[in-house]
Amino acid sequence: MNSTGGSAAVSLEAVTKTYMVGEPVHALDGVDLEIPRGSYVAVMGPSGSGKSTLMNVIGCLDTPTEGMVYLDGQEVTAMSDRERTRIRGEEVGFVFQTFNLMPRLTAVENVALPLVFRGISVDERRERAAELLERVGLGDRLDHVPNMLSGGQRQRVAIARALVSDPALILADEPTGNLDTETGENIMTLFEELHAEGNTVVMVTHERPIAEHAERVVHLLDGEIERIEELEAVGTEVES
Amino acid sequence: MSWRAIRSHKLRSTLTTLGVIIGVAAVITFVTLGASLQAGIIGDISPDDRQNVYGWAAPEESSNQGPLAGAQPVFTQPDVDGLSEQPGVRAAYGYTSIPTQSVGFGGERIPRQDAVVATGVDYVDEDEIADGRRFEYGQREAVLNPAMANAFERNVTVGDTITVTIVGGFAVNATVVGITEDSEARSPFEGFGPGPRVYLPLDPYYTQLVAEAQETPRFPAIVVEANSIDDVDRAKESTRSYLETESDAREQAEAANLTYELQTSTELLGQLQAVLDQLQAFVVGIAGLSLLVGSIGIANIMLVSVTERTREIGIMKAVGAQKRDILTLFVTEAVIVGIIGSILGTLLGIVGGWAGAQYIDIPLTYPVEWFGIAIAVGILVGVGAGLYPAWRGARTDPIDALRYE
Repeated sequence: MNSTGGSAAVSLEAVTKTYMVGEPVHALDGVDLEIPRGSYVAVMGPSGSGKSTLMNVIGCLDTPTEGMVYLDGQEVTAMSDRERTRIRGEEVGFVFQTFNLMPRLTAVENVALPLVFRGISVDERRERAAELLERVGLGDRLDHVPNMLSGGQRQRVAIARALVSDPALILADEPTGNLDTETGENIMTLFEELHAEGNTVVMVTHERPIAEHAERVVHLLDGEIERIEELEAVGTEVES
Repeated sequence: MSWRAIRSHKLRSTLTTLGVIIGVAAVITFVTLGASLQAGIIGDISPDDRQNVYGWAAPEESSNQGPLAGAQPVFTQPDVDGLSEQPGVRAAYGYTSIPTQSVGFGGERIPRQDAVVATGVDYVDEDEIADGRRFEYGQREAVLNPAMANAFERNVTVGDTITVTIVGGFAVNATVVGITEDSEARSPFEGFGPGPRVYLPLDPYYTQLVAEAQETPRFPAIVVEANSIDDVDRAKESTRSYLETESDAREQAEAANLTYELQTSTELLGQLQAVLDQLQAFVVGIAGLSLLVGSIGIANIMLVSVTERTREIGIMKAVGAQKRDILTLFVTEAVIVGIIGSILGTLLGIVGGWAGAQYIDIPLTYPVEWFGIAIAVGILVGVGAGLYPAWRGARTDPIDALRYE
């Protein structure tokens, strides 16, 4: 969206991540993956398949032992810790299973948090955050702190926060894991809308029905890509 | 955001701040009391006192230990008479305190060890006498100060007879001929504070009674009064040369390897001030310890705070907070605690200093520069105590932090 050319939102080349737990364990073992701009990808796999590691590597929270990671065309693997933190703030929007909101900050302050570390003025921060909360349907909850909000509302705040930097991709880790089915469905609807608006969404999940909202499902097993499944665009039904 | 974190743990923050408050308040209180004490002492030197040279002979190792330290009885009456003839000198006389058991009047006996002084006529100036006159040399007369005169059930007045019981139980009488206007010390030999005093002439009280075992009575100290303040240095010089070349004291002083200490009130005060400064440094050092304890309190609470907020640190890092941002956040928190603590501590210390000065009855003097120092120390304590916990927070791995429950 905010970068030129046909380069993918995320591109992994032969990414290997090895942990030394007594003996070397390959959490990721030579993964090649391209996530095009504007796509909606789900990552599935059983526990220990490397889902979390893949997510950390894509989200610039972790660096691979070997291989290359490109985020929005920029090589992340060669970056310093400082630059990686910067690009994480600007190009990746995280949505977590446990929401991970700052408990003492209001909804609007939580959404504006990433902008704080980019030195954007208070007024501009608040304006942009309020706009996004409006977008996720929480225009009347701007000054509520997280424990005054329901689970679904908290996740909406988290999604608004993920969008605030206008990132290259939204990285969601089990975003419905702590929500009841109905609220979960509402959240999935929101993701589909965001996708329809042109955002790139990568979602890690172990629930098949959730993964079916995506265009593609990447199946991981033992640190390798087992298969990539192309799905019918279910989202179109919701979109209309 | 730091401020909000502090506010959200009111009790904990209050207790942490209290540690700093107490430390700073203790320092400020003691510094204020020290400054007030010094100001009280310095304020007490009369201009008249400034033209006096106080002398005694002591072994070299006793020098700079204050008035009369190590003083040996070496000065004779002819020495004093000779000294009063020296250029620049108006008067010279001996001085000694007489060790007593008690001072009695009208059947009442007040135990006193240090109240009785034997000296020359000029020791008490004429205009310092409020009632009566000065004593005469060779007469059994005494001058009292109001603190002494009013110590008895029936106040002593001019014309009354008091009884001084010397150590050993020997009692002598003296007729009170004068009462001084105040009870301040009349020379550094008496110390620097007010107290009850009986002033007696050296003759007969010292020469005939205390020193009668000696062939020639010798005084442990002398007072040389210069003609004017401008003559003080000249008087001091001529006194020294007289003592070193012509005096009776010379022989004994040489034999016992004594050196002459000749000092003005101002110089003696300087020495006393040095002692006071040391004392103050000691007390402030102890108060400073409580400040150190306070800063350890901050460090401790910051470590708890960092651990407790590991997850929040993870969130902030995930959304793009640099190490520096996290560091700033926690250091700011510690500094806020430090600043609030030192400001409140300074206020409390000002009150404490005032209360202390009231209690020990000295004029209040605030060392204003210390208030600035206290607040600077508060900030430093905050930074110092917050830095390590903040650094620990800053280097938290976001992956671990987000997983942290």
